[in-house]
Amino acid sequence: MPRLVIDDLQIEVPEGTKVIEAAERLGIMIPRFCYHKALGSAGACRMCAVKFIHGPFKGLQMSCMIDAQDGMVVSTTDEEAVAFRRQVIEWLMMNHPHDCPVCDEGGQCLLQDETVSGGHGLRRYPGRKRTYHDQYLGEFIAHEMNRCIHCYRCSRFYQDFAGYRDLGPMQIANRVYFGRFRDGPLESPFAGNLVDICPTGVYTDRSSRYKARRWDLQRVPFLCIHCSLGCSTVASARYREVVRIEARFNESVNGHFICDRGRFAYPYANLADRPRRARVDGEDASLAEAVRAASGRLDQISMNAGPDAVALVASDRCSLETLAVLKRISREKGWRHPAVFPRPDLEHKTRRAVSRLDRRLAVSMRELESADFILAVGIDPVHEAPMLALALRQAFREDAGIVVMDPRPVSAPFDFDHVAIAPAEIGGCLSRITEALSALQADSAAQGKETRRPEAAGPLRADLDSRIAGIVERLRGSRNPVIVCGTDIVRDSTPDRAADLARLLLQLKARPCLFFVLPGPNSFGAVLLAESPGRSFSDVVQDIEQGKVKALLVVESDPFKNFPDRERLERALDRLDLLAAMDYLPTSVVGRAHIVLPTCTVFECGGSFINQEGRVQRVEPVHEGGIPVHQVSGGGHPPRVFSHEVPGGEIEAAWRTALEVAGYTNARDNLSILKIMAEEHPGFARCRDIPTSRSFRVLPDAGDRPPVCEETGDRAAPEAADTLEVVLVDRFFGTEELSGYSPVIQNADSEPLVFLHVRDAEPLGIAHSDWISIALEGGGLEVRAGVSAQMAEGVLVIPRHRLLEWQKLGPVPAQIPFGRISRAGKE
Amino acid sequence: MIPEALKRELLERTARAEHPREMAVDVMYALQGYYGYMSDEAMEEAAEIVGMTPLELEELATFYDFIYRRPVGRYVIRVCDSAVCWMEGYQSVVDHLTSRLGIGLGDTTADGLFSLIPVCCIGYCDRAPAMLINRKVYGELTPEKIDRILQKLATGKPAAGEE
Ligand code: SF4
Ligand code: SF4
Ligand code: FES
Ligand code: FES
Repeated sequence: MPRLVIDDLQIEVPEGTKVIEAAERLGIMIPRFCYHKALGSAGACRMCAVKFIHGPFKGLQMSCMIDAQDGMVVSTTDEEAVAFRRQVIEWLMMNHPHDCPVCDEGGQCLLQDETVSGGHGLRRYPGRKRTYHDQYLGEFIAHEMNRCIHCYRCSRFYQDFAGYRDLGPMQIANRVYFGRFRDGPLESPFAGNLVDICPTGVYTDRSSRYKARRWDLQRVPFLCIHCSLGCSTVASARYREVVRIEARFNESVNGHFICDRGRFAYPYANLADRPRRARVDGEDASLAEAVRAASGRLDQISMNAGPDAVALVASDRCSLETLAVLKRISREKGWRHPAVFPRPDLEHKTRRAVSRLDRRLAVSMRELESADFILAVGIDPVHEAPMLALALRQAFREDAGIVVMDPRPVSAPFDFDHVAIAPAEIGGCLSRITEALSALQADSAAQGKETRRPEAAGPLRADLDSRIAGIVERLRGSRNPVIVCGTDIVRDSTPDRAADLARLLLQLKARPCLFFVLPGPNSFGAVLLAESPGRSFSDVVQDIEQGKVKALLVVESDPFKNFPDRERLERALDRLDLLAAMDYLPTSVVGRAHIVLPTCTVFECGGSFINQEGRVQRVEPVHEGGIPVHQVSGGGHPPRVFSHEVPGGEIEAAWRTALEVAGYTNARDNLSILKIMAEEHPGFARCRDIPTSRSFRVLPDAGDRPPVCEETGDRAAPEAADTLEVVLVDRFFGTEELSGYSPVIQNADSEPLVFLHVRDAEPLGIAHSDWISIALEGGGLEVRAGVSAQMAEGVLVIPRHRLLEWQKLGPVPAQIPFGRISRAGKE
Repeated sequence: MIPEALKRELLERTARAEHPREMAVDVMYALQGYYGYMSDEAMEEAAEIVGMTPLELEELATFYDFIYRRPVGRYVIRVCDSAVCWMEGYQSVVDHLTSRLGIGLGDTTADGLFSLIPVCCIGYCDRAPAMLINRKVYGELTPEKIDRILQKLATGKPAAGEE
């Protein structure tokens, strides 16, 4: 490890560390623009010049371009270096429009900081400035090219790091321009990171434009809850309104970046039609009154019809606090344990995934980046766990091989082999890979015996054989393979099969190698707290229909979003004696509930969530809640009347209100939520000792459990050749619940397509982007078709998009006969 | 749209290349030869042939002097503005050209005959100052010599090296 001296301080750094980085470790921040930890060095801006006094380099050099070496003596304060940097910043400012007062970057701008630190204060250049035309880059990002200092960070991020190809540098010399070929929305789902990464105000967040200076904001280290990965963010609020989300570095989860869903989903917290007032039977009430009413009626029903006539419904966007409290009160009251998952299969697969993950097997997303071979099954990364796609891209850039086994027309910012097979075939392939690998293993263990070829077992398609053999070979030849497994579209036993393969790989390679993607931000927490086997919402509906359940307390959950049969759900809810809803979203359930108890969003009350690798992450509130000032004032001056009350400020975290509904009178003051959590699951005891900025994993140590592979009757692949299997899927925008309420995301979203294979489409006379109609019992579904050759045959891929009434499909899984699908006349 | 035959030929040549993108400049030249310059539509056509995005091709087209993203005159005059020519009187060459043609650098004459643009060293330093018209090089330029060349081109006598 090289040891060097920077500004009279000694430091030892790992081989390959740049001098700029070594200095940073000493707390010396050498000015820089183009250097960025995730993007590396470019030597483009010349801002990081320092003086090399002793060692292999001499004189003025760029500290971002030179590796730290033994015996180097470096000065960052040398007169020559200081003068050089002062000149560089003067050049860089030559064409700058000096529009800081109207620039959103002002106050958090690296260019401002380095101009000051470089000592440039007086403009000497009297000539004309170079100016550019700006482009329309979509709903998320504003473009102001005149502010550019040509550090190339944006294009290096956009093209090299993230792998998208529609933004980059054009022109030459003094005219170099960063933008698109034509105006138009940026294609990358990670484009929002340009806002964070540009050291000046070329790219700014349109959704928060002109709303605040950084120092006006309440800024808190935060957590993204828009998929199961749990990326780190910084959330900012002003005047009781969330105004901006930025990426926050997390060395285990997301690295430096986040996706655009995570960045632009926040407006759900600011909605004008958010439930802000409690309601009882259609009348506004105070929260206390509504709690009293709910509490009384629930007790009444418990008394008359037995406590298990009361059922709780939650969702995986509930915090761990809320889920723990619901578990506690349902036990103490004898109510039915909360149903968290909309479908039994999701609950089952999540539970299997969680129970198979342990400390030795689980890889974090950052560790995944150093894998050299990745087999991803039943997952469409960009759509289901966006930042996973970026992690896979980093592995790909280091030459990892990637195989994606999935029926969808998967597209991703890296090269991969796509094994496009139906969901039913995935599990079988995994088993065969495991068998073949362990057979080879046994052979090489028993030397001398002739090598046995893995037998082709199971009724699989012949053309898969060679591909499977290829995967087996690559797994064998890799040093650090990882299995990524989704839980949405796969069959019930697939997570177990993936875990079996991962266990074998762990034996062979002695490295963690399993990465699950779960349905939602707190699915992991939900199954940890669930009774086993847990119940899903469809069980609840059945119980209502059979008259066993008479009251429903729905907590931060919208069954209408996911329940496959809307009419049946409406009928069931109408039978209830009491429907009480607690939520911060204006959901359909809130609209029909007898009693509405508004709750706080995670921005207002904080909370803990467990991501898909078992990482418990806790955040503090960003602001105290209440109705945004501009909504109270109608956009004008804030009210001039003084009061101690914050409008809309009486609402609380769901867990507090739930405790009060259950009769805990002291919920507000004395109860320690951390104590409740620790009592409900021993794994959460550590929450008490861990500061919110740190996370920990609740995973069992390895080896203490034999793999209990529950035999589950998977649905077989459809036999009939004249039907298509419906595969309901998530999409980057439009299917996740919270971001679906964000106006900026709604504007940016594109029309949802239903995909089918060319060979299935052709006989029906359907071409790409034709309107098709799907005739169903619950009515027809008219939608635009996507026709692709890069997907499995025999499936119809339908996004659960908020603009598609896919719920009409009736109980899913479903087979749709070809005869029901036809070209629609619509243009 | 370029003729089917040309398109087929370009696709074949691209297919033979080890990396399709190494054909980017050749393909743009071919399209430029056909259209006279690279319009946005031509850029998109070329991008499709070499399997690049229009942006990626634009990065190259706007960096490389010999791809025209705007219409140019029949004769493109490129005056060398590199060191040796600059020492040998580049400025007076440019002054003479601009006053004779009545256009500035980067412009095209109203009759569509001449475009004038600066260019980096064209390897004619020993006969500086130099310029290039379409594919023909002219050195040791003087005002009289320039007049003769322009005269010849303007009166329609075929200029050698015309594309
Ligand atoms: S737009 Fe921003 S990130 Fe891109 S080169 Fe200019 S200053 Fe750098
Ligand atoms: S990948 Fe998931 S957790 Fe990360 S920022 Fe995107 S939506 Fe949020
Ligand atoms: S940071 Fe070193 S040259 Fe830009
Ligand atoms: S400098 Fe003009 S030709 Fe070389």
